[in-house]
Amino acid sequence: MAKLAISRLNKSFGDLEALRSIDLSVERGEFIALVGPSGCGKTTFLRIVAGLEAATSGEVLLDGRAVKKPGGDRGFVFQNDNLLPWRSVFANAMIGREISGQAGAAERQHTMKLLKLVGLEGFEHYYPRQLSGGMRQRVNLARALAIDPEILLMDEPFSALDAQTREIMQTELLRIWEEGRKTVLFVTHQIDEAVFLSDRVLVFARRPGRVQAELKIPLPRPRALTLKRTPEFVALVDRIWRMIEDDVRAAALYENA
Amino acid sequence: MSATSEGIKTATAPQAEPALPRLSPRLVAALRRHYLAAFVSVAGGLAFWELISRYVVANALFLAAPSQIAIAIYKLARSGQLWHHISVSSAEFALGYVIACVLGIALGLAMASSATVKQALQPWVSGLYATPTIALAPLFILWFGIGIWSKVIVVITLVLFPVTINTEAGLRTTSERLIEMLRSFGATRWQIFVKLSLPSAVPFILAGLKLGIGRGLIGVVVAELFGSRAGLGNLISQSADAFNMPDLFAGVVVLAFAGIVLTAGFGWLEGRLVPWTRD
Ligand SMILES: Nc1ncnc2c1ncn2[C@@H]1O[C@H](COP(=O)(O)OP(=O)(O)OP(=O)(O)O)[C@@H](O)[C@H]1O
Ligand SMILES: [Mg+2]
Repeated sequence: MAKLAISRLNKSFGDLEALRSIDLSVERGEFIALVGPSGCGKTTFLRIVAGLEAATSGEVLLDGRAVKKPGGDRGFVFQNDNLLPWRSVFANAMIGREISGQAGAAERQHTMKLLKLVGLEGFEHYYPRQLSGGMRQRVNLARALAIDPEILLMDEPFSALDAQTREIMQTELLRIWEEGRKTVLFVTHQIDEAVFLSDRVLVFARRPGRVQAELKIPLPRPRALTLKRTPEFVALVDRIWRMIEDDVRAAALYENA
Repeated sequence: MSATSEGIKTATAPQAEPALPRLSPRLVAALRRHYLAAFVSVAGGLAFWELISRYVVANALFLAAPSQIAIAIYKLARSGQLWHHISVSSAEFALGYVIACVLGIALGLAMASSATVKQALQPWVSGLYATPTIALAPLFILWFGIGIWSKVIVVITLVLFPVTINTEAGLRTTSERLIEMLRSFGATRWQIFVKLSLPSAVPFILAGLKLGIGRGLIGVVVAELFGSRAGLGNLISQSADAFNMPDLFAGVVVLAFAGIVLTAGFGWLEGRLVPWTRD
């Protein structure tokens, strides 16, 4: 059985058709990337899977059960880190456990281990204002992992970072992912990021938001940054870019108009 | 009164202190220059005042020199009168301030958690906040006598509304993004309130409490001017009636000092309680 099964999902905001008839089946441990022009409904899609937004029609099944509201089986990693400024790194990472009322010694230990895994050992007592953007995103990731979710939902988590930090975070994410092989839905605007990270790239189109194409990424794992300079990688990026080029251009024109 | 508000303005300067070690040497030098200028300005002002009152308005019925004021403060302190006035005013201020803060925070909470309560109270709160309720002080003295309770009531009417308004505003402006973050972990409304709305309202509440200090001090003194047996306002009005300028100014200086100390202490407390708002 698929880990995540989405069928005939529709979402409208009034007259605006944000998502039309999305079908998607994700295997356990699969890393899926979602790319597409601005406004094609990627965030809306993730929010529906997270249970933060209700679908207009259609079904989202996680392990065969319908998703209706947020739950501990899904961890959301936000675009802007959304850390609580009055909480330390550790207390921020514990928030999910606190909310579900499981903040015992075992969970605290697990969170400490995760902070180490994301490279924040020694920073547990720092406050968000004392951290760099990259470190804050690491906390954001650790916070989602701390509830030990079945599936990670990541909405452009690295978009606010500079190019170098971003590449470092990509390799770090893969390293962390190799440890637990969580199922991941990862939204990004950067095609090379999508190709580098994922097993499968879904290309969204806009007006209405829908899945226009999907592409398997048969590149071997574990992956290193040098992969980005291989002809296979470049060819894959190029293919996806051509798929969405026209749509992106239309979106840019539309937004500038 | 103007001395009090001046005091509050200068008292905000020390708040920058904790950030000093992290600043560059150039900035530190700039700050030093800034403080030097402040010191020279205050010392120069005092010297000017001293000269004017000795040689220009050499009339003890109109103006007291800083040196005379210092002597007056010393004498009032020695005789014990000063402590008596300070303790009465302090009690009035503290009682009114604490009651107003507790009540104001409670009202703010009620207004933030119920739309009906908010609709019902909003006109009163906004209206009374904008009204110079200090003008009602004579009325309160008529109703509650010239003892401390009439002053406590005046302080409450002045401090209550800024605290209520700030508490309500702080609770209302909870970040949508952070609400969504907590919701993604399955937080209930109560958990969102306790873990997010309340802590993010603390800086607003503290700002309301800080505003209340100046207003409360004004309330105590003005109410005492209208009728009292003791207190710094009483000292000021008695001295004015007796044309005793040094004592009058002594009262004003003590008040200014209290304003400065309370506001600076509050700034320090803010730095401890809500350090994330510093930058
Ligand atoms: N709560 C809402 N109410 C009304 N319209 C909405 C709402 N949320 C999203 N939309 C609309 O739905 C469409 C899809 O938005 P969404 O944020 O999912 O796009 P996106 O693909 O994530 O875009 P971006 O790449 O810019 O983040 C947009 O046209 C947006 O204006
Ligand atoms: Mg988005």
